[in-house]
Amino acid sequence: MTLQELAAACEGEILAAPDGEVAVNAAYTSDLLSDVMGNAPPESVLITVQNHLNTIAVCTLADIRVVLVCHGRDIPDDMLAAARREGIALLRTPLDQFHASCRLAALA
Amino acid sequence: MAQALKDKQIAPGTAKAKDSVIGAAANAGQTAEPDAGGDSSPLILLEMVHRLKVRDVMSTELLTLNRQAPMKRAQELMRANNISGIPIREGGRLYGLVSIDDIIRALEGGYINEPCGRHMTTHLIVLEDDMPVAFALRYFDRYKYGRFPVLNRGRTLVGIVSQRDINRVLLHELTQEFERLERAHKGVNVGVGEDDHLYMLCEYPVVKLDFENAGKAANEIKILLRDRNVDTRVTRRIAVAAYELELNMCVHSDGGTLTFLVSNGRAEVIAKDTGPGIPDVEWACRDGSSTANDWIRSLGFGAGMGLPNTKRVSDTFDISSAPGKGTTVRAGFALRLSNPEEEAKPS
Amino acid sequence: MTIIDVVKALDGTICYAGQGPGRHLGYVMASDLMSDVLLVDADDMLLVTSLASDQALRTAQIVGAMGVVVANGKPLPSTMVDVARSLGIPLATSPLSKYDCCVRIHKARMAEKQCGAGA
Repeated sequence: MTLQELAAACEGEILAAPDGEVAVNAAYTSDLLSDVMGNAPPESVLITVQNHLNTIAVCTLADIRVVLVCHGRDIPDDMLAAARREGIALLRTPLDQFHASCRLAALA
Repeated sequence: MAQALKDKQIAPGTAKAKDSVIGAAANAGQTAEPDAGGDSSPLILLEMVHRLKVRDVMSTELLTLNRQAPMKRAQELMRANNISGIPIREGGRLYGLVSIDDIIRALEGGYINEPCGRHMTTHLIVLEDDMPVAFALRYFDRYKYGRFPVLNRGRTLVGIVSQRDINRVLLHELTQEFERLERAHKGVNVGVGEDDHLYMLCEYPVVKLDFENAGKAANEIKILLRDRNVDTRVTRRIAVAAYELELNMCVHSDGGTLTFLVSNGRAEVIAKDTGPGIPDVEWACRDGSSTANDWIRSLGFGAGMGLPNTKRVSDTFDISSAPGKGTTVRAGFALRLSNPEEEAKPS
Repeated sequence: MTIIDVVKALDGTICYAGQGPGRHLGYVMASDLMSDVLLVDADDMLLVTSLASDQALRTAQIVGAMGVVVANGKPLPSTMVDVARSLGIPLATSPLSKYDCCVRIHKARMAEKQCGAGA
């Protein structure tokens, strides 16, 4: 699955993309960063509304490759910069977490 | 002990009365301290037994006999009325008491037809009518009698009190107390006014960082509105406002009060706290503005939506705050019970 | 699709089934931020969350949800079932992740529609 495919499936847009391919083989839906840190599988897509810098920090710790921000939430500049710096793909979708999860599952 | 006194005619009102067993017992009761054992009763009960007096619990419809009446008469009265003691009284003065035990002894001894005055118990512990019930309870504990005659200050027999009397009144008082607490919690005044408008006043304390109870007030307000068939859309808006304000107070203030007021077709949720105050009210009312720390956010709170959300769902919104003076937020709603389809504000 | 159907689809456990005939699933909200839940204006919402706290139930009651599912096999605090009962909100848990819960519910609803069964 490519980022383009993901963006298309979720009616969304790509805001930050690392060079090369992004390998993911799991997905995790959560808005509790402590929960993400403890339970998210590695090499996964995080589906969340948490649109701040801390999200990126947690992703680097939990080896999350892609962040899909739901509900069309605004992405603060520092979050975007951090995603680019850490090589984490950042996408945004107008869908809610439930529908974003279902669309992603349909892709896989 | 009682035996020797049984034949004595005790004449109250004379100098002897003071030395009489009755007088002595009554006086002794007043000065003797009850056992200072530990009391683990709930405060509400303790308050009750100290506040209520013996006169508040005693039976005043007294069945009494004079000294001439035969013991048999006492027996009949006891049986017919299901009581266990007959005071022997003349002219308002208490002379003694005939108990079931006395009747049994009379039957065994064959003197059931003799006058009460001759066989009554005169070694009596009596209570005074203005003693607290707490005292009376100690007496029941210590003396193991089923009942005590009650005298007033003038030494007139005014009643008789049994353990059952005390229990009955305590139960009644407790029920009333619970009903009162429930009403105070759910609404001091809840009803429908003359113009078919609902009126309610409910006050809920909100405790700082008390996450166990956070939101409870809002839940109750919603139930109150739902039970009174208030339009569901308005109910939801009010419930959301109440919840947001309640949580806001819980998370960001030092605690305060959430008040819910309904009158004249209008509802208001008022959150008043004594916290640090909001330095920049405008900032606080913007989406996403929050001073919550990471721990609070990790519990799912503090996304900074409380005040803006409240403003969004209410018909009128007012906030006044000053550093050091606390904050008062008022969210108002137009409200009607009848014809929900004609409800004022479109959602 | 009632809460019972949902729990079956999620390999879950019902902690409080609610009273009376179960309401049918409307909108599914997969969120852990109660402030977001409060924004939802939908009937018969099912809340799927990782937040194992009374707050999930209290928020659900405010918005008239038809049930709460706590995902990720989170153990519930002892008070939570009592709160569910006192508010009349069905409560269930699932060992699946919230993501898997969403996917399963979606599949089950699709299957129901195809069979022409249920709401």
